[in-house]
Amino acid sequence: MTLLSLAHVCSHLQNASKARLGLTSTPWNSSNLSLLLSLQRTGFLSFVTRGGAVPPDPAALSTYAPEPLTTATVARQRLWVGLKYSSNEPVMRSLQIISRPTRPVTAKLEHLERLARGWDSGPTRLIQRGLNLGECMYVSTPKGVMEIREAVERKMGGLLLCRVSP
Amino acid sequence: MSVARPLKCLLSRRLASATARPATAAPQCFAASFHSSAPLEKRKTRFANVRAKEMGLLDDAAVDEFTKQQFKPYSPEELEILKKHYTPEQMEALEAGEAAIDPKDLTIQGRLRRDPYKLPYLDDFSQLVPSIDREPKKHAPPNPNARWLTEEEAMIDLLMGHSKDLMPLLRWAGIPEEKWATMPEAEKKQIKAELQKFIKEHQEAAAVPEPVQSTKTFMERSMLNDNNAPSNSALAPSLGKKIPGVSGMYKNPIDPEDQGLDDDGVYQELKRRTGMTVRQMMDLSVKILVTRIVHNQTRLGKIRSMWIMAIAGNKNGRLGIGEAKSTEIAVSTIKAKLLAIRNMQPIRRYEDRTIHGDVEAKVGATIVRLNARPPGKDDCPHHITSMYLPTRLAGFGLRVPARLFEMFRACGIHDIAGHMPRSRNPMNSVKATFQALTNQKDPNEIAVGRGKKLVDVRNVYYGGNVL
Repeated sequence: MTLLSLAHVCSHLQNASKARLGLTSTPWNSSNLSLLLSLQRTGFLSFVTRGGAVPPDPAALSTYAPEPLTTATVARQRLWVGLKYSSNEPVMRSLQIISRPTRPVTAKLEHLERLARGWDSGPTRLIQRGLNLGECMYVSTPKGVMEIREAVERKMGGLLLCRVSP
Repeated sequence: MSVARPLKCLLSRRLASATARPATAAPQCFAASFHSSAPLEKRKTRFANVRAKEMGLLDDAAVDEFTKQQFKPYSPEELEILKKHYTPEQMEALEAGEAAIDPKDLTIQGRLRRDPYKLPYLDDFSQLVPSIDREPKKHAPPNPNARWLTEEEAMIDLLMGHSKDLMPLLRWAGIPEEKWATMPEAEKKQIKAELQKFIKEHQEAAAVPEPVQSTKTFMERSMLNDNNAPSNSALAPSLGKKIPGVSGMYKNPIDPEDQGLDDDGVYQELKRRTGMTVRQMMDLSVKILVTRIVHNQTRLGKIRSMWIMAIAGNKNGRLGIGEAKSTEIAVSTIKAKLLAIRNMQPIRRYEDRTIHGDVEAKVGATIVRLNARPPGKDDCPHHITSMYLPTRLAGFGLRVPARLFEMFRACGIHDIAGHMPRSRNPMNSVKATFQALTNQKDPNEIAVGRGKKLVDVRNVYYGGNVL
């Protein structure tokens, strides 16, 4: 899991939400894909799909098939995501990164357990604030990127990626 | 203050008393003395009083002498003059009155005023002194049963009133000359007087411009059936109680539903807006949190005003803030309080005791951070509680600054922590707290937005008995 594009994805999604965009796209790579998919699993995004330079038609998403990957098309592939809004407010209001490429923050299961309960915890010198109401934290574990509650359920620690709050 | 001073005072007092009264010893007085100077002796009058008895003024002879001088009976000459003015019956009454009062009684019991403020007459009622005497009521009191004229009656009244002034002249003109000669003297006199009066009135009326006259005739007529009788009062008679077309149109401003709580009508507008009763509004906890004196600089000087911020809450999840400014403190106070009641909004509470999660709000340089807190633990051992006492929960409490404390108490939040890391401006702290409380996230809204089902585990485990 590389952290190179994490800050870019987070700030871009936050800006797109503030601008009330319905669709937006990020670079297509495996780390972005895993984060966005777990965001979608939590309910912050309506869909995640691979697509070209032109966004998919939201009305025909169920039948949408991304263009086949060829050497000619692979370079312009992007990840298209749908942003969600509820009663005129974005469902995902702020995304803040925790780990940076120069300073990854890893947390053990015991830390995650405390954080998920809303208490401050984390490795020494890198203590994180506990989760607030409706807040989510994403952890990169050996089983992929997942939300902190799922990681606690699976009893796994990992690399803290970002926190997302409504 | 030095120690030497009381001593100096004491010494000077002693010395002063010694020099002032060398012959007599100062009387021993234990009462506190508030002066350092020596007390004066009791003052004596320089002239002895002489009593009236010692002067011989109360002797019978002296009293008789005074009576004779002061209250002389009428002399025969004076009686002659009086007889010219009064009838014999009046003279009899005068004499009887004189005989009824003993002049000696007047001397002993009466009092002749000689001060500069005495009345300028004794019994002259032919003249009225406006500063002393009441103005006589020349006219009869208004008819209490007077009613409004109908349209026809008003028309007849107008025509008759107009022709009334002409009556004496018509009468005068209708009398032939031979009849006038045979007329008794009294009747002639009366007719002449009427005519003189008529001419005089019409001369006066001629001096008034025509439009004014006609206006007076039309406008200054009584619309009641009192025959335009003159009144003792300069005020027009008041309107009746039940005027057709008006009665029932206006409501009494004092609502009997208020049970006399709001006779000044202060809460009436608020009652209409909020739908609360006056009793409910009075039961709210309303408190002034911030007062400031502000100045408006004009070219005439500074104008001071009082700026007041008040809060109102029902101790059950509703809170409002109101701010008002006025040069009068009382006005701004009541305005701020009423606005606070008017602005009351529902505050989201978790378990009716704390807030949902942690919230933060910023107004100006003031940041208020509020943190939800758990309920208190049972501070009694369980076996004692269950046997002898009702469940007593201490609670976390309100660990917040004073103004925030008042706000949470008013809206019914019992467990909370809050702090202001930066500025603690009184006005901004109250505003920011109100913002933080009203901007809490709705858990239901979050769940709906994500398409997930949200479960409060405190209500799930152990059948919800987690307290």
